[in-house]
Amino acid sequence: MAAILKNTLNRRSVLKGAAGAAAVGAMGSSFPMPAIAEETTWTLANSLRSVANPYHATFAKGGEDFAKSIGAKYEVLVTEGNSEKGIADIKALLQRTGGKLILNVDPNDSPDARVIVEEVKKAGGFVVTQWNKPADLHPWDFDPNYVAHMSFDGVPTAEAIANELFKAFGGEGGIVALGGILSNVPAIERKLGLDNAIAKTNGKVELLDFQPADWNEQKAFEITQAWLTRFGDKVKGVFAANDGMGMGALEALRQNGLAGKVPVVGIDGIDAAVAAIEAGEFAGTVAWDPLWTGGMGLAIPYAHATGKIDITKEGHEHREFYGTGIIVTKETVGAFKNNPPKVDFNDLWGKATGQIQYRG
Amino acid sequence: MYQMFLGGALRVKAAALAGGAWSKQWRRWAPVAVLVGLCIIIGLFNPNFFGGANFVRMLNTAAIPLVICMGVTFVILMGSIDLSAEGVIAICAVAASMLVANDFTGIAIGLFSVPAAILIGSLVGLLNGFIHVKFRIPSFMTTLGMGFAGIGLATAILGGVMVRISDSSFRDYLSLGRVFDIPAAVYIAGVAVIVAYVIQERTRIGRWVYAIGTDEATARNAGIPVDRTRIIVFGIAGAFYGLAGALSAAQIGRGHALISQDRLFTAITAIVVGGTALSGGVGSVLNSVIGVFIVIVLTNGMVLMGIEPYVQKGVQGLLIIAAVALALDRSRLDVVK
Repeated sequence: MAAILKNTLNRRSVLKGAAGAAAVGAMGSSFPMPAIAEETTWTLANSLRSVANPYHATFAKGGEDFAKSIGAKYEVLVTEGNSEKGIADIKALLQRTGGKLILNVDPNDSPDARVIVEEVKKAGGFVVTQWNKPADLHPWDFDPNYVAHMSFDGVPTAEAIANELFKAFGGEGGIVALGGILSNVPAIERKLGLDNAIAKTNGKVELLDFQPADWNEQKAFEITQAWLTRFGDKVKGVFAANDGMGMGALEALRQNGLAGKVPVVGIDGIDAAVAAIEAGEFAGTVAWDPLWTGGMGLAIPYAHATGKIDITKEGHEHREFYGTGIIVTKETVGAFKNNPPKVDFNDLWGKATGQIQYRG
Repeated sequence: MYQMFLGGALRVKAAALAGGAWSKQWRRWAPVAVLVGLCIIIGLFNPNFFGGANFVRMLNTAAIPLVICMGVTFVILMGSIDLSAEGVIAICAVAASMLVANDFTGIAIGLFSVPAAILIGSLVGLLNGFIHVKFRIPSFMTTLGMGFAGIGLATAILGGVMVRISDSSFRDYLSLGRVFDIPAAVYIAGVAVIVAYVIQERTRIGRWVYAIGTDEATARNAGIPVDRTRIIVFGIAGAFYGLAGALSAAQIGRGHALISQDRLFTAITAIVVGGTALSGGVGSVLNSVIGVFIVIVLTNGMVLMGIEPYVQKGVQGLLIIAAVALALDRSRLDVVK
């Protein structure tokens, strides 16, 4: 399975064609190939849930881009939503590389992060974690091996995209909201951001109903159909905590002749959502720039491993930081598509937007 | 041989005596009663439920689960299980979306993609059956593995991207278009149900499915080609998944590897709630139709009644157990496991 998925990436990059290849080439040329053979003895790896979802597929591509730019070996480890498998694969790779491993991992579940960090430290490798970790696990407690933790702040992002939704229907009326799996940190943050945005309208926008659709397109479709029966034309807009659910809601609206009439917003910035914005059916989405997280989660530890920086001397805001979410709307979609976010692997913290906060 | 038949006959006879004719009739109609009861309760809470628009929405939501259930029901009636539905649907949906006008391949064969998807689905189904029968691997494992392989293959083809369908007539004929204000997908699902019913009632395969599900050894002794029937039934199931794949792609206008996420669990729940026993031999495709509507009405009703999301899953679980308790004629089951 792992072999198939790895091949996929190669195949995909080939299929993606000239654009991708040119970009990689350009990036490669801006980086001097390592002069010392020793440098390439580091193996780079990204660990993620599944390349079946667009976010993680692009995340894996970001890592591949960076690895190519320095001519290093690169592997993609896939958890398929199984923590045991995720950890076992990492242990095996640490074993195989004799600890000469730079790992960029999106842990399947928060508690996994601690185990992974401890294993990497024991073996002498370097690790960056993404999105999920326990609140009391900090990179500076595992110097120098636990290099950094990167995340995106769901609260202000959800608030901003909710405001785009309100703007799209004139700022007054009822909305319905689709949430993620109730216990997921991003789901909780995004709900909080939506609540903040609604509170600031002073009663002009009313949340008619909130339903968790578990990040699932199909569930979102069914729930949205039922909402149309329950609330009818009181629904002025649909907020979805991710684009997948937003697409499900949009298709339910289409079945009822309402696509483009009732605006939808989502989060993630998948291609389908960007296309829906162009078609005037989505009012907006937030693009996470997984190419950046996928590459930078390797570039920062690599800079430390090769002596370019000393991570232990960096401040906390460079060890636990938020990336930048890009709000894409009808007005900005053209610019976003023509000028996709660029990744400069030399600018290690250029896109960091503040130290991670822990709420309640 | 003779004793075996006699044993079987006596068991049925004893069950009839113990249960009584009235109870038998009740069990037969219990799923319908559950469905009607649910509709009345939800309607009392929210009269919008009985609106024509809501019925059309529920029919539309039910279309794809119905097609999937037509396939899974035959396998379950035979006493096996088919867990490959999600994987097969993923392959077929991706294949269908790559065969109509799209942004990934240069192929555009329009509606011919539908028979192509059905063909691919039935081939994978036949492969399921072949592996299960010829290598004597339990259907649970065979189909579970095939399901994973299907999603893996769809992922490998696409590498995480989605195929966007630009052929609007494909979407109109299979999903969005309406005749008498009812979406095309509903008519297609209706035809699928009729085809499944005809297979069940009017073909030898249909009758053999019951014989195998009730008692495979007896069926074999009676000269029924058990192995061949099993393979064919898995092939029939695959054909329905193929159709479901094409319908899914048309419904959302895209093809991707996770298109059928969670479909399988809904399908199996619907089949069991409808009164088909997982142990085989008991039930019918019509039971599954009622079962699908029970599940769909329940989901729809939860939102209409404004039940707290935290409570919904609990209510759903309890109602499912209650529905099975009412609907399933357990007197004919020797063992419950």
